[in-house]
Amino acid sequence: MTVAAEEEPKRLIENLAARKASLELSPIDLCFVAALRLRSRAGGLVSFSEAELGEVFRDVCALVRPDAAGIARRATAAIQRLRDQRLLSRVDGVGVVRSGSYALTRLATGIVDFYLEEEALTGDSLTLLLRTLHTGLSELRDQARGAVTAEEVSARVAGPLRVTIRDLVDGIERRQRGLDLQQERLQQEIGGLLASDWFDALARCQDLLETTTRTLRELNEVLLRDTHGLTALLEDIRDLAEVRGAADVDEACHRLSEQLDRSAAWGAARQRAWSEYYQYVHRYLRDVVRLDPTRALTERLRAQLSGRSGRSFSLVVAWQPPLAVPREVVVPNQRPPLEKPKKEREKPLDDAVTGDRDRELTGQVEAAVDGGARSLSAVTRAVVEQLPLEERYVAAGRVAEVVTKVARARSARERDWAPADEGIWIEEWSVERSASGS
Amino acid sequence: MTATKFVTLGDAVQDEHFPDVDLALRRGRHIDRDDVAWFGFLSDAADVLEPFYKRFGADLVYRSDGFYYLLPTGDRLAKRQLGIAEMLVGQALTLLYLDPATLEQGGRVTREQVLGHLATVMGTDALVRALNPKRRRYDERVAQETVRSRVADALRRLAALGFVDAIGAEELKLRPALLRFAEPVRSSADSTEALERLVASGELSLTPLDSVPEASEEDESAPELDEDSALDPEGDPGTEPELDPELLEDFGFEDVSKPVEQPE
Repeated sequence: MTVAAEEEPKRLIENLAARKASLELSPIDLCFVAALRLRSRAGGLVSFSEAELGEVFRDVCALVRPDAAGIARRATAAIQRLRDQRLLSRVDGVGVVRSGSYALTRLATGIVDFYLEEEALTGDSLTLLLRTLHTGLSELRDQARGAVTAEEVSARVAGPLRVTIRDLVDGIERRQRGLDLQQERLQQEIGGLLASDWFDALARCQDLLETTTRTLRELNEVLLRDTHGLTALLEDIRDLAEVRGAADVDEACHRLSEQLDRSAAWGAARQRAWSEYYQYVHRYLRDVVRLDPTRALTERLRAQLSGRSGRSFSLVVAWQPPLAVPREVVVPNQRPPLEKPKKEREKPLDDAVTGDRDRELTGQVEAAVDGGARSLSAVTRAVVEQLPLEERYVAAGRVAEVVTKVARARSARERDWAPADEGIWIEEWSVERSASGS
Repeated sequence: MTATKFVTLGDAVQDEHFPDVDLALRRGRHIDRDDVAWFGFLSDAADVLEPFYKRFGADLVYRSDGFYYLLPTGDRLAKRQLGIAEMLVGQALTLLYLDPATLEQGGRVTREQVLGHLATVMGTDALVRALNPKRRRYDERVAQETVRSRVADALRRLAALGFVDAIGAEELKLRPALLRFAEPVRSSADSTEALERLVASGELSLTPLDSVPEASEEDESAPELDEDSALDPEGDPGTEPELDPELLEDFGFEDVSKPVEQPE
């Protein structure tokens, strides 16, 4: 189904809701419409004048509400109600020039026909309908054979398929629904007959059952026999239309084919359902009604259940327990105890290279002295400028200490201050290499 | 169908339906025409199966209403009595089966209809008391819930025995075996004679349902399964009480208290 086809019902229903379409028919309105329908059939009337409408309404009132007063006023109101609900339409189109003519709409005739005509499917009507359908389809197949172009096929076949043939199939479906309703009423009737007449209703119930069974069997046989031939005809028409490229005929054939399948399936389903019902009712008539003609059993059982009579009892039934089959022994799954993974409490020590700052510093001082630095400030500058800024101040003091060890340092009585690095001033010494060679 | 299809018991046992039908019968199942294949098999094999089951101390009964069932008459084949709830629900279902109004639906009723019918015929109070026998005082809401639950349970058991068919969650199809519940009152309004005859044949047993001892207040919390699953009154009082198979079923165990008798 295409998206457009899926959305179609939704759109239609939305439109219907938007138009606020509704129907409300009182019994007298329905009788009025029915009387109009019957009169139009009997007299071959196409429309009614206002006077005729009033006359029909008066007749209906005389039958349905003989004591009603103000008939003319009531008739006017009833006609207006029917017009508002689109059951009656004005067909003359002359407006206020003169009084109008009115006709029942398709909606009105549809409603009335539902009540007046019980179009249920019978073996005869189905055979007739299917035969007409067969003839119609055969003619269309000939038409399709004779057509050369797609347009010709569409013109000769698609139209009749959509209107004439489809109306026939719709007629079958409508009668099927009529038969469904008839069966439902029949089931109620059988129940009602037994409830009121019990044993005396036996023969009548059996007649009803037999008649319906016969009808359903006939219908199913006819449907099974003829549906196949009709489907084959539709297939032929489809093939011919396909060859000539008439897509609209193909679609019409497809829809008709589906309708025919549905009709055939209906026949089989109803016969199956009826067969079940038939057996049940037959069994009931035989085992319950025939064996209890005075219908005393129900009363006795009712008294028994309510405790008004008899002693309490229990039915005994066989009760053989199932053979004992020992279950497979399944060793329960032993779950290991939950435990936390072990963790070293103390972090392992990191190996670190011990730094010998003193020796390093001594080496640097010696290198500076060897390099020709002859003052403490020069040696200090040479050493500390290799160090990070934050270490320079501390290192400057230690340089002085190391100089005294690795070289000969002299100082004047009044020592001058000399810059050793940026922000470091020291008392100046003169430095000489010691005799040991440092 | 004729009764001549199976000449010997061996022929019947060899039939593909025998194992299923045999097990079903031994478990109390009633087999009618709706069980098409099983019913056909039993119709054909009844002549050879009747003596077969006789050896187990059981009668293969065919009723003119159109159903078969196995009725243990001795001790070799286990049996049980239907409980209070099963009996009440069974009788209500039988009334519905006899009601022409049920015909309209082809013998189908809803669970609600069953409960409604039961309450109408017995009266709500009597129904609540019958299905809550141990309680001297009860909360109306809880008691009604108990009734619903016990009726549902009874329906499940009756379906297993072939008295009804559960169709979906709500619908039930009534089956002819229900007429067993009407047997004591079938021939006459005075059921005494019929009851005596049926008790003698082992079809049913008399139960003092309305004299079930009331439990004390302290006992009210105890499980209430016992009165709904009556023990076999024919059991030897001197021996260990037989385990109630329904209790075992409810708890998902199998009865291994009795050895399985091998066929001779």
